[in-house]
Amino acid sequence: MKTKNLKGASFAALVLPATLLYLAVIVVPVAVSFFLGFTEWKGFGAPRFVGLANYLRIFKDPIFLHSLRNNLLIIAVSVLGQIPLGFVLAYMLYRKLVKGTKFFEAMIFLPITVSPIVVAILWNMVLSPVGIFPWLMRRLTGNPDYVFKIFEDKNLAILPPLFVLLWMFTGLYMIMFIANLQRIPRSVIEAAVIDGATEPLILRKIIFPSMVGLIFTMTIFAISGSLKSFDLIFAMTGGGPARYTEVIAIYMYSNTFVYYNYGYGSAVSIVIVALSVVLIALSRGIFKRLEDKYE
Amino acid sequence: MSERRSAPWKIAAYAVLGVFTVLSVGPLVWLLYSSFKPTAEIAMSSIALPKDWTLSNYAKAWRLGDLGTAFLNSVIYTSVGTAATAFLAVAAGYGFAKFSYRVGRIAYSLFVAGLLITVHAVVVPLFVMESRLGIYNTRLGVILPYIAFGLPTAVLLATAYIKAVPDSLVESATIDGASYLKVFAAIIMPVSTPVLGTIAILTFLNNWNEFIFAYLLTSGRKLKSLPVSVNSFAGVLNTDYGMQFAALMVATLPMLLFYAVFRNQLMRGFAEGALKE
Repeated sequence: MKTKNLKGASFAALVLPATLLYLAVIVVPVAVSFFLGFTEWKGFGAPRFVGLANYLRIFKDPIFLHSLRNNLLIIAVSVLGQIPLGFVLAYMLYRKLVKGTKFFEAMIFLPITVSPIVVAILWNMVLSPVGIFPWLMRRLTGNPDYVFKIFEDKNLAILPPLFVLLWMFTGLYMIMFIANLQRIPRSVIEAAVIDGATEPLILRKIIFPSMVGLIFTMTIFAISGSLKSFDLIFAMTGGGPARYTEVIAIYMYSNTFVYYNYGYGSAVSIVIVALSVVLIALSRGIFKRLEDKYE
Repeated sequence: MSERRSAPWKIAAYAVLGVFTVLSVGPLVWLLYSSFKPTAEIAMSSIALPKDWTLSNYAKAWRLGDLGTAFLNSVIYTSVGTAATAFLAVAAGYGFAKFSYRVGRIAYSLFVAGLLITVHAVVVPLFVMESRLGIYNTRLGVILPYIAFGLPTAVLLATAYIKAVPDSLVESATIDGASYLKVFAAIIMPVSTPVLGTIAILTFLNNWNEFIFAYLLTSGRKLKSLPVSVNSFAGVLNTDYGMQFAALMVATLPMLLFYAVFRNQLMRGFAEGALKE
């Protein structure tokens, strides 16, 4: 009996500090956000219950819908851009098509260590009139007055942040692919080569089937990461000009901390969580089919 | 094997990897040498190497941006947050991996769900709670969320690692009369050094680059971290390019050194993180 108590007490001593802190800082606030999402609250006095009014307003607000579209583009760039590019790079390094694989690996992974705030300001400078990009364009086009103007276009303004996200995160996916490719036994591939299998055949029959699980994990990673993306765009454009590059997280930020609509902002944050859950469930369905196909 | 592969593929691989390398490192190299260039020179020719290498941009940025204070804050937030996350995660990981309690399983799945939670889902209530508790605009108020947001990934990695520690190792010590907490200190902590390292490196990187908590949960200059200071500073004074480049370098240099030393562990950490989920 005594040992049982001791065991329980030890368990509590080990697990409680982390769990209590986690409950206080994450679980309780999420629950409070959920509750506040049904209210109108300016940060003082009692929150006024308004039912689903916030949610109805969110999905009618054209600014929100434009932010949602930008977020979906970010997800598309991650899933259809960063992941495939990461794979191509990883595969070239894995098959040792070049010398100095460690060097290329280290250089392409490097941007991941730089703070998104620094990355944002750095790329703003690269695109600014004194930056590398206009300098290059002036040389290439022969137009000495070239300036970077994409931000003025409502539909295209999101392109530079999309490119910078690609720049930051492709190396991360590359590293994950390399680690997983290295787990495929070399002997399997060597045997296939001896049997006369061509490169595309090796890719299709050996490599892809063993990558499906990883690509699913990466997709989840990309979806939740994309919906969280705030720092980079906040520092790069602040959602501007004219809210063209706004994403949901920035929409939530401005409603809450600029206009002090805490209830409305909370509803937006719940929408972010709900969206990532729905999108992840959707991709789980797609990957289940893919896995079945390969088995 | 390699002689079977045709030259065009190799050339294509060099070209693709070369382009990516130049794209990845180019802007950072430009940032590095431009930070030693007087602003007047930058305005004239932004690409050329500095003719007149100078440290004055750094001196000016350090003074006007109060970067010394921000640097110190960043060091405190990052190191305290990282140490606490790693220690708490290994303790909890031991509890989840080796004690078969139902509450443990429930708590563990709460941590797993936490991987989906975004900072934005908690920041409003957290801001209100911290104001009421009187820890808004204190170091503690920044560090607590740092620790908590590091926990989900860290707990997952630690639990998976400690699960693989043979039960016999833990049990023999328990039979010898060592208490559970002694086992934790004498066995679990030492064997967990590799995973502690991975957790520490990943958390360190995240904490150093964290922005939104340090931005929203502090006011005034005294408690700002480097990313927050650099953001407000480089945004406001964006015509003094030299100083701006220097400020960006101050925030980046520690991470470049960190990368030079811990590159392999960092890569392994990210790769493991992906495998464990």
